[in-house]
Amino acid sequence: MRIFVVVQTIGGFLRLFGLAFLVPCAVSLLYGERHDATVFLGAGVLSAAMGHLMMRGRRSPIDDLKRVEGLAIVSGAWLLLSWSAAIPYLGAGMGPIDAMFESMSGLTTTGATVMRDFSEYGRGLFFWRSMTQWFGGMGVIALFVAVLPKLGIGGRQLFFAEAPGPTDEKLTPRIRKTAAALWSVYTGLTVAQCVALMAAGMPLYDAASHAMTTLSAGGFSPHGLSIAGYANPAVEWVVIVFMFAAGANFALHYRTMVGQGWALPKDEEFRAYVGIIVVATVLCVVFLRPEFPGTVERIRHSLFQTLSIMTTTGYASTDFQLWNDQAKMVLLFLMFIGGCAGSAAGGPKVVRQLLIARFTLLELRRTLHPRGVLPVKLGGRVVSDDVMRGVIVFFLFYLLVFAVCTLVVGALGADLVTALTASIACLGNIGPGFNAVGPMANFADLHPVSRVVLTAAMWIGRLEVLTVLVLLRPEVWRGAQLVQRASTR
Amino acid sequence: MDRRACRRYHQDAQHGVHPLRIIIVGGGEIGFALARELSQDHNLSIVDQNPDVGKRFESLDVAFLAGSGTSAEVLERAQVRDVDLLIACTGLDEVNMVACAVANRLGVGRTICFASREDFADAHGIGETVRQHFGIEKIIWPEGQLADEIERIIAAPGAIDAEVFADGRIRLLEFRLDATSVLTTAPLAALHLPHGALIVAVKRGEAIEIPKGDTRLAPGDKIFVMGAPDAVAQVVGQIHGGRPHARQVVTIIGGGDVGFRLAQRLDAAGEVDLRIIERDRERGALLAGALHRALVLHGDGTDLELLEAEDVGRSDVLVSVIDNDERNLFASLLGRQLGVGRVITRVSRLANLRLFERVGIDVALSARGAAVSSLVHDIQGGRAHLLAVLEEGQATIVEIQVPAGFQTRALMALTPPPQSIVGAIVRGPDVIVPRGPDEVRPGDRLIVFTAAESVRLVRDYFGTA
Repeated sequence: MRIFVVVQTIGGFLRLFGLAFLVPCAVSLLYGERHDATVFLGAGVLSAAMGHLMMRGRRSPIDDLKRVEGLAIVSGAWLLLSWSAAIPYLGAGMGPIDAMFESMSGLTTTGATVMRDFSEYGRGLFFWRSMTQWFGGMGVIALFVAVLPKLGIGGRQLFFAEAPGPTDEKLTPRIRKTAAALWSVYTGLTVAQCVALMAAGMPLYDAASHAMTTLSAGGFSPHGLSIAGYANPAVEWVVIVFMFAAGANFALHYRTMVGQGWALPKDEEFRAYVGIIVVATVLCVVFLRPEFPGTVERIRHSLFQTLSIMTTTGYASTDFQLWNDQAKMVLLFLMFIGGCAGSAAGGPKVVRQLLIARFTLLELRRTLHPRGVLPVKLGGRVVSDDVMRGVIVFFLFYLLVFAVCTLVVGALGADLVTALTASIACLGNIGPGFNAVGPMANFADLHPVSRVVLTAAMWIGRLEVLTVLVLLRPEVWRGAQLVQRASTR
Repeated sequence: MDRRACRRYHQDAQHGVHPLRIIIVGGGEIGFALARELSQDHNLSIVDQNPDVGKRFESLDVAFLAGSGTSAEVLERAQVRDVDLLIACTGLDEVNMVACAVANRLGVGRTICFASREDFADAHGIGETVRQHFGIEKIIWPEGQLADEIERIIAAPGAIDAEVFADGRIRLLEFRLDATSVLTTAPLAALHLPHGALIVAVKRGEAIEIPKGDTRLAPGDKIFVMGAPDAVAQVVGQIHGGRPHARQVVTIIGGGDVGFRLAQRLDAAGEVDLRIIERDRERGALLAGALHRALVLHGDGTDLELLEAEDVGRSDVLVSVIDNDERNLFASLLGRQLGVGRVITRVSRLANLRLFERVGIDVALSARGAAVSSLVHDIQGGRAHLLAVLEEGQATIVEIQVPAGFQTRALMALTPPPQSIVGAIVRGPDVIVPRGPDEVRPGDRLIVFTAAESVRLVRDYFGTA
């Protein structure tokens, strides 16, 4: 691995990322938060300068990127960008562990928070918090691929190393165009939701913040009580619609929008996604009879919470910590599924669970017909053994990380349900869990080490485990070149 | 009309069949069968790359040229410019197509191309464009035709042969009667056959006869029932004593061209439980990928252990379509022993056809045989259009256009040639399954069942009447 290539590429990202701080800086100025504006400006300059330094001696474009370098760039970029994004939290008085937690929770669209009192922080900071989620939702790397022409062929690898889900789907022959198409669909939907929320009675600031964190399946809200704090059913319905869109494959949204027919209903994963949502909602509606006497209200909260957890957004339209255990069990189950591949949602993804279910059920049939040729199929096409193995290995690693995480958080004093749900909520980029990390609570009371481990879990979960874990192999670092040798080229 | 065609027209009028000049490219099984059938009436040249093939044709009165059928020079030697028809039937689709294209450029008016894959045989869309581009008059896909025929037989429970005519408005089914059948209890006149269906022929032993009112059917007879689909279905009920039939279990042995196409069609229709046994692992994976419901098993169809483990004996139909007669026969006989209801087997070598049925295979079918006889009939042609060949060519179904000059008469007033019977009259949108008083009018299309030796008589009878 040529470390200088990795460092230089990440430097390029970081320099560009510095520009992003100008937006919250402007928001802070707008609301008269002078101190915060200075912090944002400083953070932007610092990031840009740091990135510029890292880029020294860079030759462009990168067209001979090795696989492992691609993975290192993606993993490293997410880590470094989240450090950069943490600077404003430090400036607002948070400790480094908390700032890092909040920043990673933002970029990875998790939505877990360590903020105890929302009134301590300025409007600009909350806007920044929402914005980091918006960047992370469609993928920062995808954004860089779309806007940085210098990435060359290397951009392709970076794009797929970051893209969620097991499929390598390209909308257009050129990866830059694909990334740009996905980002434009994403931006369009965000604007649409912002307008819809304002029509439902939200002020512009709140509407924009929530639009950014809904489409990214993030779940941060500038309101301490999340969506429940607005007590506005119209807002909840708007959020329901856009959460549903955020959890579906954006490539299919794009196909539908450019008039390539109704791509969504034909997709098996999408149908499974809809099916799971319907079943989970119906179960919640049945279980929640004692909690909500009104039928419409019960359906709205059931649907909202089902979508919020399934798409890994993590909003609360009501404090579901107070729900009965039957309904909570449904939500817990959904945490292990996640949204569709190619969506803004986290989690293991519907398509993976679908494939694993088919693979497992086929084993039953194979027991009856030992000589049967029984391939796993998706959408009428055979799923190759390589892909199938990748899916199973992914899920096993996912469970392994989940188990380790739970063990650490539990060992450091959290109760069983808290440890379990905090781990899956962070690894799956969901946000809230149950008990001590419930929707109206926060992660600040967990042991500092737990918070560090959960921060790592968010990072690992967002990059779908293997991208990060592969860097633990010693051969990756053996013979790594720190600096570019004069002889190359 | 150029002079040559004009001369031919007059010859036609005088002698019925006039000799054509035909080039056959490819001296394999199909080429030889065609040559044998056509050499008596027509002037044939056979072109094959392998000079040794020529020996086989020495018994026939044909010219043999060693060389490539796609070479203009070789075709010139076969005097391609005077040729009326070129038939390309080598084992390679691409060679066949190029041979037809070259011949077409050299001025051959009609070319017929044999295909072994669906890509080219597809009659719609791209396949049609390709056909026109290469100047091919007709593409014949024997394996596809065979698969379609097997599908029809499977779709009629209990039947050992099945055909449809007149866009599905007329069906023909062949059955073997057993002792439990109601039809064996009385002479035909005393049986209450549903209106709209006819028993057009009975095969007892090796002889085919057209039954009369006093004919009494016996167990072991094969009967041919023709008529409207619902009436035929009623007869089927009588044959089986009115047993309702459950969903059929079908096992296909061999996932080659025929097996694959058959499996695809049955799978798409979804009316049977389908299993397919394929020996080659990769081919099996391909099948499993393309089929939705069918169970693909990797193994040898002649492996008794596998057949028993998978309970193949419980199948209603076993279709053995391996590309090897010996293994096909073995697999079929194993299936028979395990208790399969109906066994349908593909026969590659035409000589084996009768043998197969004699040792207990219910239906033995040859892809090439059927294709060859329908092609021969097309070439011999005339007003009669061949619809089907039955019992290895012992009997045929022909469609006859009643000429405009024909005087309207009741069916019973006609004296058709022996060994033939009008099974149906198609008059515009109507289909009549005729009884004696029904009329035959000019413009009608008659669907006639006839023993092979009477085909020409039938043709002439209506052609000149």
